[in-house]
Amino acid sequence: MQQPASLYEPLRFLTLELQKQLYQVETYLESGDLSQAEQSLKRVDYIDNHHLNLLRRISEQTKTPDQTQPTDSVTLQSYDHINHGLKALSRQLQAIVFQARNAPKTAFRLLNKKRVHATFKHLTSGLELIEPAIEADDSTLAIDICRLQVRIDQVCQAQLDKYQNRLRKGQQTDALLNASFIVRDLGRLGEALLRIGEGIISANLGQMIQIERYHSLEATLSALSLNPQEEALTIRTMGETKSGCTISGVMSSQESEGEMLAVFKAGDKAKLKEEKTGIENWHEVYPGIAPQVYSYHKSGNKAALLFEYLTGDTLEKLLLERDRKTLREALQALFQTLDNIWQETRIDSVLPAHFMRQLKKRLKDIYQVHPELESQSVTISGVKNANMKTLIDQAEAFEQTLTTPQAVYVHGDFNLDNILYDTLSRDINFIDLHRSDYTDYVQDLSVLMVSCYRLNRFGPQDRKLIAQTMLAIYDYGHSWAQKINDTDYDLRLALGLSRSFLTSTRFVLDASHAKAMQFRARFLLESLLKLTPEQASTYKVPKEIYHD
Amino acid sequence: MGKKNKRFEHESLQDKDAIVCYLKAVIQGFKKGAIEVSDEEDTITLKPEKLANLKIKADQSKNAQSLNIKIQWSSDQSEDFEETPLFIDPKTPKKKKKS
Repeated sequence: MQQPASLYEPLRFLTLELQKQLYQVETYLESGDLSQAEQSLKRVDYIDNHHLNLLRRISEQTKTPDQTQPTDSVTLQSYDHINHGLKALSRQLQAIVFQARNAPKTAFRLLNKKRVHATFKHLTSGLELIEPAIEADDSTLAIDICRLQVRIDQVCQAQLDKYQNRLRKGQQTDALLNASFIVRDLGRLGEALLRIGEGIISANLGQMIQIERYHSLEATLSALSLNPQEEALTIRTMGETKSGCTISGVMSSQESEGEMLAVFKAGDKAKLKEEKTGIENWHEVYPGIAPQVYSYHKSGNKAALLFEYLTGDTLEKLLLERDRKTLREALQALFQTLDNIWQETRIDSVLPAHFMRQLKKRLKDIYQVHPELESQSVTISGVKNANMKTLIDQAEAFEQTLTTPQAVYVHGDFNLDNILYDTLSRDINFIDLHRSDYTDYVQDLSVLMVSCYRLNRFGPQDRKLIAQTMLAIYDYGHSWAQKINDTDYDLRLALGLSRSFLTSTRFVLDASHAKAMQFRARFLLESLLKLTPEQASTYKVPKEIYHD
Repeated sequence: MGKKNKRFEHESLQDKDAIVCYLKAVIQGFKKGAIEVSDEEDTITLKPEKLANLKIKADQSKNAQSLNIKIQWSSDQSEDFEETPLFIDPKTPKKKKKS
């Protein structure tokens, strides 16, 4: 991690003082020498000074960054994290001294045990590791610091068990209780070390992590028989999903330059569980389209998923690069794949997508991001223009009159960036499968089309290719609809597009782009509601809406 | 490539009948798909697309009232873009005729 002098210096002083405090507490517990206890308590003042000094400097750096050598925000947070970890350590050492001062002499003899010495040894090496870990290029030493927590916890627990057994015999209860309290407090010091290691790892990874996640990463990797401690393996942050999961790439530097071995996703257990189930279901209904899951690990409400890194580019990338030839190839492969999937996964049940219901559920979130889109009903010289809510209600009633074909297994979040195309093998793969289910195929098509439109590119050439891509998707869907005799394709698609146009505004910050999407959402509903039954039977989604 | 922006502006005092006349002319133009405006130097022909943004603004103050109607659509004059579709249904080949 970075070592800006203004922060690293006070941190080193702080660490140094803590080492002294730890040493004095250790000597005090070993010898019962009260002067050592006093010495250790005096340290607390120094420690407080360094702690506050570092706090102040971190806040200064946050407010007015050093122009010549700016420190990134994660590093600042990491220093903050380590600072608090060290302060917590000091406070707990202080509490141990207070406890010991009131303990009977015999308690000191009880503390003169192999396991208590081991705990101090671990703590000492933990503190000694801080500087080298900060200065190291990788996180190996920081992970070692974190690991000490587990060891400290184990030895202290074992010692506590011993005390407990002796307590049952009813002798020396006072001394045993005091010793138990002290050992319990010692055990908690590992927590502080964990926070410190976590701070360093966060700075190295470029994002604040919770060590529970990193633990799961380790557990996941060891299941793959990869060891994150091996220098050959690096973990690179790739981003964050909309649902707040972190995504990292696991790479081996041994093989050809930084080859990606796997993708590691960590976060909310419910979300990742859904994703895992989604992937597994795909393996069942249509093998080969979803990545392989290497391992899944959960702890508390957090989970981690390690899965195959699929080669290829997302369709989004192909579209944005305006590589027309490859894009067309990719679309062709995609449509062929969809043909196969829909053919093979078709079930007897009819499960409508309920586009308007989906839209209603998200309205609040949409207006939170774009309050200006919440329109009122207006009348212009007697021509009425209903508000969005009324339109959606009416459209929902209209939707119920439509026929939906048999359900197929759909992706559920079929955005351009969730579809991968490998130019060499010409394979299509799906990722981000936590919302897959059986429903109307139009669900996926409408989401895919709007994921084109919502792209944040406004060059005329970009917009043209976007419109053409949307049209291609429409045409493909249309040909499928004809194949299966789906007469209400256009009507349902219009509802689906309307739904996605409006809900996608949540991810579009450009106000005029968001407005254009809202206009399209409205326009589609208005046109549908104006249709006579006769017109409805020949209705086509107007291709003009694909253009800006 | 004729990329120059063209601009036409007109302002005058009119009675109610004349204003209705102008509005009707605009309506006719919309129906036809071409609205022509010209002065002594130049003529601009606007070709409304099937879809356009419509913005209506009404202002009322003590001394004046106004009605602004803005109709805006994107037009595309560049021809250097490949128009062949990205998807061609193998079963029902589409005729790519442009008249």
